[in-house]
Amino acid sequence: MNDPSTRFRWVLLLASLVTIVYLVAAALRENFLAEWYTVQKEYRQLLQSKATDEQGRALARDFRIELKQVSVPRLKAVDRCVSCHNGIDDPRMTDVRQPHAVHPGDILKNHPADRYGCTVCHQGQGVATSFRDAKADDAYWDYPLLPRELTQASCLACHDIEKLPPQQVALVLEGKKLFDEKSCASCHKLGGRGGTLGLALDNEGAKTRHQLIMVNFTPPYTTWRWHQAHFRDPGGVVAGSQMKNPTVTDREALALTAFMISLRQRDVPESYLAPDKIEQKARALHPQPLSGERLYRNYCFACHGDGTYGRWDTTFRRFIPAVRGPSLLATADPAYLEAQIAQGRPGTQMPAWDARAGGLQPDEVKALVAYLGGGRGTLRSAKDDNAPVLARGDANRGAALFIQNCAGCHGVAGHGGVAPELANPTFQQAASDAFIVTTIRNGRRGTAMPSFQPRVPGARSLSDPEIADLLAFIRALGPAARKPQTALVPNDLVKSGGSR
Amino acid sequence: MATTATRPDRTTATQEFLHNLRLLPRTLKDAWFRIGHTPESEREVSQATFHNLFLHIHSVRVHVRTLAPAFTLGLGLISAASFVVLCITGVLLMVYYKPSTTLAYDSIKDLHYVVFTGRFMRNIHRWSAHLMVVAVFLHMARVFYTGSYKKPREFNWLVGLALLVLTLALSFTGYLLPYDQLAYWATTIGANIANSPRELTDAIGISTWFDPGGFQKRLLLGANFVGEDSLIRFYVLHVFVLPVLLIMLLGVHFWRIRKDGGLARPEEPMGGPAEWGGSMKRVFEPLATKTYGLMALVKGRRPTVNRGPENTVMSWPHLFWAELAVFMLTVAICLILSFYSDAPLKELANPAVPENPAKAPWYFLGLQELVSYSAFMGGLLIPLIAWVGLALIPFLDRRPGGEGVWFGTPGERRVAWQSLLFGLLTSVGMLAFTVNFGWLRNWFPRIHQLWIIGINPGSILVLLYAGWSLLVLKRKDSVRLAAVALFTCFLIGFTVLTYFATIHRGPNWQFYWWPSQWPVH
Repeated sequence: MNDPSTRFRWVLLLASLVTIVYLVAAALRENFLAEWYTVQKEYRQLLQSKATDEQGRALARDFRIELKQVSVPRLKAVDRCVSCHNGIDDPRMTDVRQPHAVHPGDILKNHPADRYGCTVCHQGQGVATSFRDAKADDAYWDYPLLPRELTQASCLACHDIEKLPPQQVALVLEGKKLFDEKSCASCHKLGGRGGTLGLALDNEGAKTRHQLIMVNFTPPYTTWRWHQAHFRDPGGVVAGSQMKNPTVTDREALALTAFMISLRQRDVPESYLAPDKIEQKARALHPQPLSGERLYRNYCFACHGDGTYGRWDTTFRRFIPAVRGPSLLATADPAYLEAQIAQGRPGTQMPAWDARAGGLQPDEVKALVAYLGGGRGTLRSAKDDNAPVLARGDANRGAALFIQNCAGCHGVAGHGGVAPELANPTFQQAASDAFIVTTIRNGRRGTAMPSFQPRVPGARSLSDPEIADLLAFIRALGPAARKPQTALVPNDLVKSGGSR
Repeated sequence: MATTATRPDRTTATQEFLHNLRLLPRTLKDAWFRIGHTPESEREVSQATFHNLFLHIHSVRVHVRTLAPAFTLGLGLISAASFVVLCITGVLLMVYYKPSTTLAYDSIKDLHYVVFTGRFMRNIHRWSAHLMVVAVFLHMARVFYTGSYKKPREFNWLVGLALLVLTLALSFTGYLLPYDQLAYWATTIGANIANSPRELTDAIGISTWFDPGGFQKRLLLGANFVGEDSLIRFYVLHVFVLPVLLIMLLGVHFWRIRKDGGLARPEEPMGGPAEWGGSMKRVFEPLATKTYGLMALVKGRRPTVNRGPENTVMSWPHLFWAELAVFMLTVAICLILSFYSDAPLKELANPAVPENPAKAPWYFLGLQELVSYSAFMGGLLIPLIAWVGLALIPFLDRRPGGEGVWFGTPGERRVAWQSLLFGLLTSVGMLAFTVNFGWLRNWFPRIHQLWIIGINPGSILVLLYAGWSLLVLKRKDSVRLAAVALFTCFLIGFTVLTYFATIHRGPNWQFYWWPSQWPVH
């Protein structure tokens, strides 16, 4: 150690050697140990072994081992998948293992890879140069590679599903059918039409895994695994979910998932759209009115069932009325029902369905009401409203009667409980006095609402004046707007008396 | 013609041309090196050092202590070396990087997957940036614990602090450039830290008229949210403004090292032997006949007239070997780290999908932990107090002694250990308390925010540290020891908070023992 810098020279030597070793290692890893490099060497041998004619030999001879990519700026796609999938357009590559094999089917005939790229249909990280990164189901990439059976969902970006060969999009078609059958639109908007209890699904396929609750999940965290599990058991995937279990099989859950993945608003240039897609988009601006039955099936069935029986909903903790119950239809006039449907019942799970909310046209609401009465019940029209006009009652007396007879189900202040909310403004505005009186008198068959003037001898019965008192009290439950604007609303409705 | 006059007799122009062509390598070397040959004597070595722009920044001779690895640990050099690596890899990355919100992410993906050596360069850039931040912090600690900031080096300590800020700023501005989720939300957090004075102005209700926080944030981002304007701002800062400032200040830093007499070292008796390689020997043999040019003299604290350069060695080659060794060591470390660990790149930035937890770069996580208690305290006041406190050290501790020696003042090592223990216990205790029992807002939900700004775990820690330092000042009757106590406490507090926020803070800034326990969202 005579020279003070000897140790520095040793350090320098070692550090330089390490540097050189790692530089060489990095260069080797990047160029010669890369996955695509090995794959292309193998593919070149395949080309040579399959070369039978001059053209094939030329192909094998000219094959260069290099990174390859398809760049489609208009689709914002740079897809390097072809660095490994070299044989996708070579019809001879049928009996070889992936990634050398030819693309199945004749899709590439109409969708040449150089114009469409790969990820526009398959998703995945096109820019990646290794299969793991391209698949991207455990990488930081928003749209991982779709499983084979779900790839058909991408067709809908450019095609009208109705105009495609059904066998090509069988799964999505099945899912779409199930969507209507299970009445999903009762709660979920699609194309501007549907309920508001759930989320709108117009862009569901564009969601990334970060937008879904993955707590009760194991990797890989892909959106389709989530959807499948969620369709099988919504509450098991999202704790506290209000979504009804759609009761589907695994296959049906997969079909619904395919339909969800297909719901993606993509920014595709018009030149890529099939003519039928453009027509479909134009049609969507002027939707054809659906039949009453179709509407009921799509938008009402999930909650009301077939509508002939009222029931208690355990999730909503609320009574769901029998909207096709014969006694309702015998009592209610169409205008009342139309108002209920169009405006909904604020404060309950029943949303408004008019054009601004649920997206139904006025004609459709009418058709729906006609359908409700078309079954076992017969709709009264407003004209033959010949219910007896009662003398004006007294709300104070009505309050006592209400507590005795009604509050058990309708709540002390009419805010509902087991039974519908009588204080609801939409109900108060749309329900005529005759409607209320008739309902109290006759009850609702098929529901828990009994008749208070039963035609059974000896049974407890309310007199007409008592019913008038009740009516006065029920009207007093209504919103302040129905009362004189200047009146201060007393806290105790029981003492305030009726306003009518 | 003029040239004919200098041409030797009986030669033609052609012969002369050929002759000069033959001599070209030598004349070129001559022109390049000025002395024309490898320096042989110490005098020539001195000249070679002196006459070279890049070597000239070194003194011709350095003290042997300068070369002792256990003294400097090479930390300053590692910081500078990683900066050089950053510049080189940074320029290479600039060739492919496109500073636009629509293109930036794709260009990084291309760098990662197809650009020749792109991924490796980006990894090296990222690792050397981390290394530089770490080395700069450790370098500061080294300078502090060896008392090297003392007169006449006070100013260089300030320059160093400015360099620390620039280093952090460079690192932070680089964070946004990939424009992925990590970048976007880390920058959002950083901008919100800049916005932290808002908490105070909100609490006293004057934000409408006086909003320095909002101004700072908009100045930083060029908008209210991270976007195109922010990206271009960060890019300009990252590749031009900050590096240029840093290079200038680095020049001042180096220049002051030389002008302040090289690295700090204890006073030495005139002449005599020096310890080197385990034995005492005369490193420098004075020759009676030799006279020394000014260039051979190292400017010390006093004029070195009539004084031999005892205990010094020639910079060429000893110092240069040492510098080269540290440089290559830095490069090797960066390469090894880069080979095994890729720089992160998450999904494309998406303002609609917040990262949870959104964390700032790791060196700001200590601050983010403080900000989680009170934005104003953690984001502005405490860092300001810490920085101003650091800047004041050399001006408050002016008693000479102990320069250039680790824990050179009597009792210093003991105080440092005690302060380490104190800082560790108080910071860990405070965190444990806060995690288990919450803070004022949990106990008194309706309390005015001013209370929380004033009394929070961060401000209490600062008070505890200050109190501890005052106690040491009183007990030990030494400004230096009080400074050691305070510096150690802050260093430990910073480290503990940074570690805690990095590892133990999960979604919604909740406590978790380990990141693997974070709920997936």
